[in-house]
Parts: sequence; structure tokens; C-alpha cells
Amino acid sequence: MEALAHFPAGGESAENREAQLVSAVLRKDRKATAEFVSLCSDWIYPFVRYRLLPRMDMVEDLMQEILISAWKNLPNFRGDAALRAWVLGIARHKVEDYYRKRIRQAELEDEETDAREPTVVSHIQERLEAGADHERVHRTLTHLSEVYGLALIWRYRDEKSLREMAQLTGKTEKAVERLLARARESFRKRWNDDRP
Amino acid sequence: MTDPENERQFRELLSEVPEEISRRPPSSLKARLFSALVREQQQSGPLASLDDTVAAGYGICVFEKLVQISPVGEKAKSPFFCQVCHARVLAEAFENPPVYWAHCPYVAFKES
Repeated sequence: MEALAHFPAGGESAENREAQLVSAVLRKDRKATAEFVSLCSDWIYPFVRYRLLPRMDMVEDLMQEILISAWKNLPNFRGDAALRAWVLGIARHKVEDYYRKRIRQAELEDEETDAREPTVVSHIQERLEAGADHERVHRTLTHLSEVYGLALIWRYRDEKSLREMAQLTGKTEKAVERLLARARESFRKRWNDDRP
Repeated sequence: MTDPENERQFRELLSEVPEEISRRPPSSLKARLFSALVREQQQSGPLASLDDTVAAGYGICVFEKLVQISPVGEKAKSPFFCQVCHARVLAEAFENPPVYWAHCPYVAFKES
């Protein structure tokens, strides 16, 4: 980004450059803000996409929310950690918040039901053996209800434990387990319907 | 109860994502995010003036330069002039927009 060019190049540490940038953004310098947006976007875009794919419609809204939150909290940035790690921390929190709100809205049945499901679904296994078909996975996720899609992504892509998911959504582990069982079942059905 | 085989299958299936996931954000997205953040900044008072921006060592675009050298007060040099610039409109709507002049943040997004 060209705006960085005015900073002295020789011998200046990354921390100093970040401190200068943060200070200029806090002064509401428009050029520093542009540089801040460019840097932060490069960091958070892959992070957010990975956790929302295939629900791309939410990526921009969430990125905007993350950047505005970073700007509002910038006076608290003390430079103990790198700016990148600090911004990604905010991004993680916002993404979790998004998952939590959406999944909380779902009606989770708490009654004792047998959540057992078929152990192996041959078509899924076949595809796995043949190598992952990304497009088909994303197509299948797109056709699931939003809550089912998010629950699967949160559990299997973001590797959240049942306990963490339960704590974050205010549900019991059993309720989360049942939600995941229904989500997997719905995924299998869509996956098989989509069979070429 | 959750079956370990089910868990393994879904983990393998969902953990892999296309390589393009790690690509940089589109410049139009950066442009829209920048405009949104500056609007947010303006809600708590004026932006730093163009004189301050120049004093801090940043370059300003040809349109901002015209404003900066105008015989007007500091307050008149603080608005977000990009709001009325066609470069912003083009950059928010298109990738690789036809805007080229120096020190324009929207041109910089295109090149970043």
C-alpha cells in the first residue's frame, strides 16, 4: 500500500510502524484509515471466509462489523501483541458471536430421544475415498437450513467441542449433540439427492 | 450418541476448503469497507484536516490538493471528499476500476 511509503524504511521496527499507524487512525487521518482497512482486510478476509463458506452473503457484513469494532477499541490497543493478532482476536469473537446468535435462535428440543444415526453413509464415504468434492460439499451446505450449516461448520471446520458449543449457545451438550445429529442427517439427505 | 466414524467423516469432508479461500479480498470490498469506516469515524466528529494528513507525511490526491490550497478555514478541509468523488463510486462497484491518479486510497486498494 503506497501510504506506508512515508514511514522511514531503515531500521524501523514493525512495532513502531504499527504504533504510528494506530496513532494516525485514532487521529482520524483518512489516509492512515485506508491503510488500516487494507491491512486488516487482508488478515480477516480468509479467516472469515473459511468460517462462513458457503454463506458468502454474510462475509461483508461481518467484516464491516469487525473493522468498526476494531476502530472503536483501538484506544485499548497497547501493542503488547502484534496488530494482526489483536485484529484476528476481534474477528474470532465476532464470528463466534454470529454462530452463537444464529444457533441460539434455533428451537432445540431437549427431550430424551435416541440421537443415534447411521454409522456410515456409503455415498459420503465413497466421495471421501475419491477425494473431497469441494463444490458438492458447498452446494450441499448451501441447501441446508442456516442453523444446520453453521452448526456443522462450527463443529467440524472450526473444531469447536460439544462443550464449547453448549457453553456459547447456552444449551446443554445433549441438545447440541441432537442439533448436530439432525444437521448431519439433513446433510446426508441433500448430499445423496445431489448425486450425479 | 455420536459415532466416532461419523465424526471423522464429517471432519474430513468439511475441513477441506478450496485453495482460493486464502485469496486476498476484492478491491471493491476494501473500498466499501473503507467508506463505511470513515462514515463511522465521522459520527464522533470531523476527520483530521488535509493539512494534518500532509504534515503526517501522507500524500493527498489532486482533488484534495485543490481543497488544501484553497483559502478556506480548517473546518472546510475536514469533510470526507471521497464521498462525492467518482473514484469511490467506481471502486466500490467494480474490480480494477479506471482510476489511476496518485494518493487516491481507492487506487491503492486496486493495487494492493
